[in-house]
Amino acid sequence: MTRDCIRFAPMIGAREGELSPSDAKALAAHLAGCETCRAMAADAAAIDGMVAEALLRKANTRDFSTFADEVMARVDRAERPGLLAWLRRHRAAAAAGLVPVLAALAVIVYVRLDGGPGPVAMLELSSEGEATTVLQTADGPVVLLQEDGGT
Amino acid sequence: MEADDLSLVSQAQGGDAAAFRALVVRYQRKVYAVALGVVKDPDLAWDVAQEAFVRVHQHLREFEGKSSFSTWLFRIATHLAIDSVRRERRSQKDELDDVAEGDLAEGGEGILATALGNDPRENVLRRELAGKIQDALASLPEKHRTILVLREVEGLSYEELAERLELHKGTVMSRLFHARKKMQAALRRYAGLRAADEGKEESEP
Repeated sequence: MTRDCIRFAPMIGAREGELSPSDAKALAAHLAGCETCRAMAADAAAIDGMVAEALLRKANTRDFSTFADEVMARVDRAERPGLLAWLRRHRAAAAAGLVPVLAALAVIVYVRLDGGPGPVAMLELSSEGEATTVLQTADGPVVLLQEDGGT
Repeated sequence: MEADDLSLVSQAQGGDAAAFRALVVRYQRKVYAVALGVVKDPDLAWDVAQEAFVRVHQHLREFEGKSSFSTWLFRIATHLAIDSVRRERRSQKDELDDVAEGDLAEGGEGILATALGNDPRENVLRRELAGKIQDALASLPEKHRTILVLREVEGLSYEELAERLELHKGTVMSRLFHARKKMQAALRRYAGLRAADEGKEESEP
């Protein structure tokens, strides 16, 4: 076991052309004189290709009859994103849609705070489109009009 | 005659689902084999292999054919497989790739070659060892499994391994060395037991 072994051992198993000509020549010279590295090279050659052979054999014993259909189904699902994905992609539209809702909530809070000690009428909210909110109060309906999604 | 990869890719890019399906069928077993080698668990490998095809489909329009379709597909599959075992890798003590004197002094070198004989392909023990390869591979750390699978199943060169794993070529060589040493040690244990059993049987009347 020499320092040369440490240098050359990682080169064992290199394919043709992977080592520089000078390294390949030096490795061959080292192997000629080093029994340990020759034995290592022999072991490497003995099991060469067995990993691929074993894994592909394993793959070949598995039933792949449903694989492609499952992939195509996953592809379809990936192309039809859910609500969350839609919201992520359309943040601006989602935010604009929230504006009338938030405006209505703000009015409710305002009416409750401003209602004083007297009874506050039941409020019923309905929405027409994205920018119109009708607020039912004890004094009658209050229509909140908005322009361009503003409050 | 079978359509080549690029013409199937071209048709798939145009929205032909059957063409994409043909690519899936063509590569499904090899992608699964690569994933299985890295992640070990057959069901996880199945999922990783399917996800690789889904990702490929999602980015199909970006594929320009600068590398082969299979290279691109296996690159994606490898990254997904590595990602899926990242937790395992984090929990393991990271081993150095350097080759030290102790790595060379384990002993037992040459036993496999002797046991497998001059024509290993015809050897019964080789066939039996092949059945143990997956167990031996599974006993290796993720980084050693990955590099062995990429080298042996995908057939990547040192340069390609360096690019794929973002390592220096020298690190690739020493990591491969460690991976092979560990694999050989695991197989030697099995070969040694077999040799002892056979000797015992032969000596019995």
